[in-house]
Amino acid sequence: MQSLTDLEVSLRRADVRRRWWLSLPAMLVVILGGVGPLLIVVVYSFLEAGPYGDVVWKFSGEGWFNVLFERDIFDDTVSIADAHLTILWRSVKLSGITTLLCLIVGFPTAYYMASRGPKARGLLLLLITVPFWTNLLIRTFAIQQLLRAEGLVNVVLMKLRLTDTPVQLLYSDFAILTGMTYVYLPLMVLPLYSTMEKFDFRLMEAAYDLYASRRKALTGVLIPLVKPGMIAGCTLVFIPCLGSYVIPRVLGGGTNLMIGNLIELQFGAGRNWPLGAALSIALVALVMIGLVIFQKNDRSGGDNA
Amino acid sequence: MRDSSDMGESKVLSAVTLAGVAKFFGTFKAIEGIDLTIRQNEFFTLLGPSGCGKTTILRMLAGFETPSSGEILLDGRDISRLGPNQRPVNTVFQNYALFPHLSVAQNIGFALKMLGRPRPEIRDTVEDMLALVQLSGRGDQLVTQLSGGQQQRVALARALAPRPKVLLLDEPLSALDQKLRKTMQIELKRMQRETGITFVFVTHDQEEALTMSDRIAVLSNGALRQVGSPHEIYNHPVDRFVADFIGETNLLTGKVIRQDGDCAHVVLPGGVTIEAQCPHAVSAGSEVTLAVRPEHCTLAGPEAPLSGFIEQVVYFGTDTHFHLRLPGGAPLVLRRQNAADGRALPQQGETVGVALAPSATRVLRD
Ligand SMILES: Nc1ncnc2c1ncn2[C@@H]1O[C@H](COP(=O)(O)OP(=O)(O)O)[C@@H](O)[C@H]1O
Ligand SMILES: [Mg+2]
Repeated sequence: MQSLTDLEVSLRRADVRRRWWLSLPAMLVVILGGVGPLLIVVVYSFLEAGPYGDVVWKFSGEGWFNVLFERDIFDDTVSIADAHLTILWRSVKLSGITTLLCLIVGFPTAYYMASRGPKARGLLLLLITVPFWTNLLIRTFAIQQLLRAEGLVNVVLMKLRLTDTPVQLLYSDFAILTGMTYVYLPLMVLPLYSTMEKFDFRLMEAAYDLYASRRKALTGVLIPLVKPGMIAGCTLVFIPCLGSYVIPRVLGGGTNLMIGNLIELQFGAGRNWPLGAALSIALVALVMIGLVIFQKNDRSGGDNA
Repeated sequence: MRDSSDMGESKVLSAVTLAGVAKFFGTFKAIEGIDLTIRQNEFFTLLGPSGCGKTTILRMLAGFETPSSGEILLDGRDISRLGPNQRPVNTVFQNYALFPHLSVAQNIGFALKMLGRPRPEIRDTVEDMLALVQLSGRGDQLVTQLSGGQQQRVALARALAPRPKVLLLDEPLSALDQKLRKTMQIELKRMQRETGITFVFVTHDQEEALTMSDRIAVLSNGALRQVGSPHEIYNHPVDRFVADFIGETNLLTGKVIRQDGDCAHVVLPGGVTIEAQCPHAVSAGSEVTLAVRPEHCTLAGPEAPLSGFIEQVVYFGTDTHFHLRLPGGAPLVLRRQNAADGRALPQQGETVGVALAPSATRVLRD
């Protein structure tokens, strides 16, 4: 918008408004595909649960109440829903750690890719996207195969005589973190790479020339300039992690739940659709808060770095 | 070749010495065994056509490349294996390479901050530098808001702020327009004098080199051809390459008849014998190349032994160029300063007498 004056901008907006019907198809897609379903979920979260799943069309705050509290079935005493909060916290924690791991692994990877010649870059970019060619479920099962008691990792560990009996790797936070880091790493590398590709590496030379150590050149020049890519990457990893369902289900077994599994439980065995809907909306709200924090970070980074 | 102009001078005066420095990229020899001494506080220029290895030498001085062999001495200490952040040498990059996320003042203070200098000192030095490059009061601006010429000044100030022993400048003026370029040439000279820092300046523009430098090193294909003052380089080019590259030169071929000390008698293809400077020994009968500047050729009366047919007359305001054809078919350009009275000049199609000043006509080494 820098090149346009305020007047020009408002004129253009007015122009768009006058021909609103041209944007009808786009509006339909947004309403039917985006806002609509979300509204249905919001409505469901305020209904009463039916005895065998589904909902009864009667207003009720019970769904939202159950997000944070639980009522004892015998004496109706109210207590905090520890299990939900624990799962929520686990989800945020695991997603945060995954984001950090992806950043730690992805940053040098993207730097390496961006500093190669144009030919090598194309090849590396292709290799990074190869995992996308296979289904998420299959990739998750592949990780499961690696980590199980008779899997490759344990075989190697035993061959190296680091352990006599297989180590329990599966069905743990470690397994979930491994799976999520592996699956979401490309989403970190790609935006990082695309900002680093535009980075002028001569600036690093200038920094060294002006007596910067490697670390100072990294923190004082490279990181501030590729921060938008880092924030985009973190957002792209953190958000799907928070809502991930397949990975904790396959690699976390039945015990190490994340919020996605909890929601699924309400619509399945739990037979509490309003609670499931309320939890879903809570997740959306959480993601929004996360986005706002990331965005804020982005802006303050641009101004006073 | 050896840098002969330094023989017998005291070692204290030398800021940088290159001893047998060579650089290979794979099997490609970018720089071949260069011996060179750059004196303290001098404005030294590396001059040569594009691709001759100027940037490579500068990058070795800065520490971005390591010489394949040889040594680089700074104040007598071998620095060729030190990193760029370990040597008191700073660079003004060709594209400036300013940090776009930092303000003008932060850019200029960058090196001092990295060196861990106290804040008040950094602030004062930045102020001094802003004054030196005539950007006082612009410290808080973002570098991206500045014009090309101003960015150039910031790049200079940034590299000068830590007071390096040697400042390296890689074609810093090539991105500026003609007028700004002239101003910056004078500015750079002033800054070099005011700071007393040794400048090593790289350019492919011979005119720029001649106007700015205390001494010039002419390079071609990674080899040193000649080192000397602008006067020496211009008036006493050692070989055909230097004569051809620096300024306009007429190159004539001829056959040596005899040599009396520094003076050779050479017969031109047209049969006319002329005298020329020849400090090195040549044998009678050998083919040689002669160099003479257009301004050292003069129009003479019809009685002169050498004559030329005027093919073209080009008027330049301050002077007029006569494009002549000599009897043997060789072309010769003659430059004549224009007089105010507007006397009638010889015209195209006429044949005129030509005199070549013997002291300014030189036999070149091949
Ligand atoms: N990193 C490099 N790898 C391979 N060849 C190089 C490299 N840097 C420079 N060269 C080659 O070395 C020669 C000299 O280059 P350079 O020093 O940049 O010349 P100049 O600055 O005089 O134009 C050129 O032929 C160039 O192609
Ligand atoms: Mg160059």
